[in-house]
Amino acid sequence: MAKPAAGSLAGMLTMTKPSAGSLASRSTWVSTTSVSSSGKRIQREMVELNLDPPPGCCAGPKGDNLYNWVATIIGPPGTPYQGGIYFLDITFPCDYPFQPPKVVFKTRIYHCNVDSAGNVSLEILKDSWSPALTITKVLQALQSIFTKPDPYNPLVPGIAHLYLQDEAKHAELAAEWTLRFAK
Amino acid sequence: MARREEETKQSPRDPKVRARESSEPVKVVSNGTSGDSSMFSPRFKSVAAMAGWDEESLLIASLVVDDTPERQVKYKKRSDLHFKTPPTNSSRRKRRAQRRSPISMPVSVLNLDDDEETKKDESGKEKEEPQIIVNKEKETRDDKMAESSGVSCPPSSNLPCLDKLRDELSCAICLEICFEPSTTLCGHSFCKKCLRSAADKCGKRCPKCRQLMSHSRSCTVNTVLWNTIQLLFPQEVEARKAAGALNSSGEAVRQIPEKAFYNTRSVQSRRASSGVPSNREMTMRRRRVILSQDEEDDDAALAIRLVQNTEAEHQNPEQGAYNNHRSIRPLRTSSSRRIPSQDGDAALALRLQREEFMEVFRVDHGQSGSSLSLARANLRAMTSRAASHRATTRHL
Repeated sequence: MAKPAAGSLAGMLTMTKPSAGSLASRSTWVSTTSVSSSGKRIQREMVELNLDPPPGCCAGPKGDNLYNWVATIIGPPGTPYQGGIYFLDITFPCDYPFQPPKVVFKTRIYHCNVDSAGNVSLEILKDSWSPALTITKVLQALQSIFTKPDPYNPLVPGIAHLYLQDEAKHAELAAEWTLRFAK
Repeated sequence: MARREEETKQSPRDPKVRARESSEPVKVVSNGTSGDSSMFSPRFKSVAAMAGWDEESLLIASLVVDDTPERQVKYKKRSDLHFKTPPTNSSRRKRRAQRRSPISMPVSVLNLDDDEETKKDESGKEKEEPQIIVNKEKETRDDKMAESSGVSCPPSSNLPCLDKLRDELSCAICLEICFEPSTTLCGHSFCKKCLRSAADKCGKRCPKCRQLMSHSRSCTVNTVLWNTIQLLFPQEVEARKAAGALNSSGEAVRQIPEKAFYNTRSVQSRRASSGVPSNREMTMRRRRVILSQDEEDDDAALAIRLVQNTEAEHQNPEQGAYNNHRSIRPLRTSSSRRIPSQDGDAALALRLQREEFMEVFRVDHGQSGSSLSLARANLRAMTSRAASHRATTRHL
């Protein structure tokens, strides 16, 4: 039921996104298979996520569109983000397993790796992406930056600096933001 | 069709061969080769003795096999290849060797002791294909378990690890069962296509461990793994094949009616539904084609020849005087009303003989299954060949 919709949307994406279009035209067989294969793979991931969701997070398509997902991550206990519920938008490219999904925080968070627009700096979502990674693993990686921020590759240097200098203060501020935005 | 006619023409027209047919071991005047009993290995001889087979007639049969013209050698080669169930490396090498020297074929058919290790696990059940499937699944599963994850499971249990296996055998890129898996140098396997597009788009690093991959290796199919997958997940493979291309499906459909026609051990109901195969039927059949070629190929070969001979016989019916097996005829007609010819009788006789033979050593020697089943397979191949020869020569 969701599949044909996904297929048509993927076609739209291919038309609207110039980068994807050029990619498809470069190697001919990709253009015929990648749309449906990415859809298939996303569907499979959806099923697997529903069957066996990782603790503390869930994810699924926003509506009929298989390529636009919404995910929630619950602030892990033992961190200043504890108790917060963070919403994320996940957008799959149409050649998905070969390109990383785009993840954007929709909930404000005081974190050195997440900027005010919600962009995340996570290596596996950029250069270290591998087609063998799944959304489940991405969510787990996101959970791990909740517990262990990476101040050496920051998006918000001020927060990273504070984290390195005064972790207690950082935790206090983060907990305050959690209370304000994520509950 | 044209090919079959050629076969017929090429076959030797030896009346002795005719006289010596399957069910009654006929005392044949030896044609100068009776001293050549060393052709059979001792094991083979003992098995044949158990089955009540006349050694002389066996020898004649083997000579028939020897005399078989090129075409039929090819045929035998094919069925013989399929006897070796899981393609291990060693058997593959052997196959190649056999391909190179077709002259050595008859010898290798008779030599039981050599091929023994390639026939690991095929137990004596030939009757139902599902049984065979289960056997092979167990076998391949064991292999897989040993090499991949270390997850152990008792081979006797009935596929409890299929889910684990599914996970283990699926491609990390498309998350489906690997289709034509290709293995990287670092030992990770993906669908060939997936791996190729991963290399194109994400750089030449293994998607799993990020080690550098080499070009050439990434495009070769890991045949052992691929065959294993085909044995374990025929439906999935079939679905992907169908989705990928609809090219080779016609061939299977063409072969099936002939196969089903003479397969007396297969259930009648299955044959009844052999009109237009449904999707599921098709996959089932494909699976059988893959898994039980040892049995079916023989039958198919025999069926093809016999059907063709039947046609020939209708043209000159007075040749029917050669019928050696009138006593079995009533039985035959009751079991199948389609072929009212002596070739039908011959086929039935052959089958009865086979079954009797299997019965004998199923009771006596259930244990030493591998060599015995190989022996049985060889005997079967021989008898079918001999029968076909007898049948073809009769009409020419």
